[in-house]
Amino acid sequence: MRLKAEHTQKLKGIIVQFGFTIAGLLILIQATAAWQTREHWMVLFTYTLLTLIFSFAPMRTLNSTITLNNAVIFTGILLYGAWVGVWTALIETLIIAFLVRFHLIKALANTGQLLLTIWLVDFMQRVLIEYHVNSMISDMILAVVYWLVNIVLCAIGISYYFKLAWFSTVKNLAKGTTLIYLILMLTGAIAVRLVEGYGLLALLPIIAVIAAFNGVVRQYFKGLDNLKAKVDEIKALNRSFLTAMAASIDAKDQYTSGHSQRVAHWAKEIAVLLELPPEKIEEVYFGGILHDIGKIGIEDEILNKDGKLTPEEFNRIKQHTVIGYEILKQAGVFQNLLPAIRSHHERIDGRGYPDRLRGENIPLMARILAISDAFDAMVSNRPYREGVPVAEALCRIEEGYGSQFDEEIAKLFVKYIRELPPEKLKAYIRQGEQTEKEEFLEKALS
Amino acid sequence: MLLDVIAISFLIAFLRGGRIKDIPKFYRLYLLAISIILQVCAGIWHEIAGIFISLSYLFILLFFFFNKQHEDIRIFLLGWFLNALAIWSNKGRMPIDLEQAKKLPYDLEPVINGTNFKHSVLTEATNLPFLTDIIYMPVIIPRVISIGDLFIMLGAFLLIQRLMNKPISLIHLREGKNYAAKG
Repeated sequence: MRLKAEHTQKLKGIIVQFGFTIAGLLILIQATAAWQTREHWMVLFTYTLLTLIFSFAPMRTLNSTITLNNAVIFTGILLYGAWVGVWTALIETLIIAFLVRFHLIKALANTGQLLLTIWLVDFMQRVLIEYHVNSMISDMILAVVYWLVNIVLCAIGISYYFKLAWFSTVKNLAKGTTLIYLILMLTGAIAVRLVEGYGLLALLPIIAVIAAFNGVVRQYFKGLDNLKAKVDEIKALNRSFLTAMAASIDAKDQYTSGHSQRVAHWAKEIAVLLELPPEKIEEVYFGGILHDIGKIGIEDEILNKDGKLTPEEFNRIKQHTVIGYEILKQAGVFQNLLPAIRSHHERIDGRGYPDRLRGENIPLMARILAISDAFDAMVSNRPYREGVPVAEALCRIEEGYGSQFDEEIAKLFVKYIRELPPEKLKAYIRQGEQTEKEEFLEKALS
Repeated sequence: MLLDVIAISFLIAFLRGGRIKDIPKFYRLYLLAISIILQVCAGIWHEIAGIFISLSYLFILLFFFFNKQHEDIRIFLLGWFLNALAIWSNKGRMPIDLEQAKKLPYDLEPVINGTNFKHSVLTEATNLPFLTDIIYMPVIIPRVISIGDLFIMLGAFLLIQRLMNKPISLIHLREGKNYAAKG
């Protein structure tokens, strides 16, 4: 499998570095013959001017900006043939090389790729003319051919330089740019036919259309940017709200300072190990932050009691899962976190609380939190006792495989903790714990 | 040379609210001096003017190269490079298309009989004819320009905008940002 990937990468390298360059050079040499003719000079001059203008008139797409140069090249091919396209591509390359950056090998590959596209489109055009295809239809076909060849060849280059899969690169390119690309190409084709029929003045309405269209696109993306900023703002607000809530839970229970933060941290690490999608990982993290929110409803005397709890008091503490669940449910916020809060004390063998759920019936998020909750409860220091050494805590988790914990997840976690550098592990375990000095200050202030 | 372009550029910069603040700094000005001296030499020794002019272009390219931290200079570099290609490949003289040049109010006799040390007549034998002086530009001062001159004019425009403290960044334009450069 790996060998195959290496072969593909090598093949891409040959295509990009030699194939594109050599093809580009051959096409360039072929085109220069047409540049010698006196009648063509005005065309070359005009297209230089157009390139100069359109190299600096970009249009934004979903995840990049594209310049209108491809449309200019396309009009050149339709009106005169490949030699104008090659000239335009060359002038743009020169402008970029002198103005922005110069990287010989990449420039050769990139220009070669573009020249190859131009040559293929021109070739297709000649075939279509041969078969007497109506120019309106052939323009549309050629626009699609241009776009398709361009992204397919581009994707080879991109996937080679960034070591990505070729086909998914093609898909990504297509997803982001197709519609705007096609609009520009087709507008170019329409411009060509209008200019042919009505002379250069026909460019005016076309330019107006492009400008107006650009305006609409700008407005659209401005709205999108604003919306994104708003969403980010709300997310940040949510985050700080949740963190404040966690802090208030921890403040109420003096034994477990910073507990929610740490449980959230370990739970997030587990979610990453499980390769969950980013939004799920975030959800797990906030599940960790809020998992003990129900403790708000438990009497302080029970929570902070020194010494052993009576069975009644213990039953009362068990209620925090249901209380937390009810609080969030009634508030109507963070509905996606409800299962985590209700079920993080369930056991795989069905002897947990509050619902005595079994195995896979326990939501994934709760199974994750059960492990991170237990781990932190064991290893963190409490005012009345030192934390258990990490190695012992891991042994106890191992003992709980299949009974208390989901074996698969717990195994991943144990392996991860064992491989974590000791100083990192220590920093995480002590994270959020109050130092003696802070405790003293707190007492002095209260 | 480019008096009209320069005047218009200043006018535009002025209308954009630009004022001269301080003269931009150039590095290695001696390269520019050498280039000018070589041009003068070409005027004196007509027989080997081609060599002087070719060298003069080399030095001015070097001068731009060492000052290329500004965008306008990079555009100059490109324009001068394209012109240099035409001059170097045609024995140190810029071929000019007589068909276009006829529209100019100047005496073309020195070009035709070869006494003009800067220009020669464009013929079938000319190398890279598409980079030589082939385009008749009627406004404002009529002249015949090359494709490289187009870039030089743009460079001059940008340089003057920067001189007047209202720089325009082509790179920003290309990236779809605000056109104004920092500075």
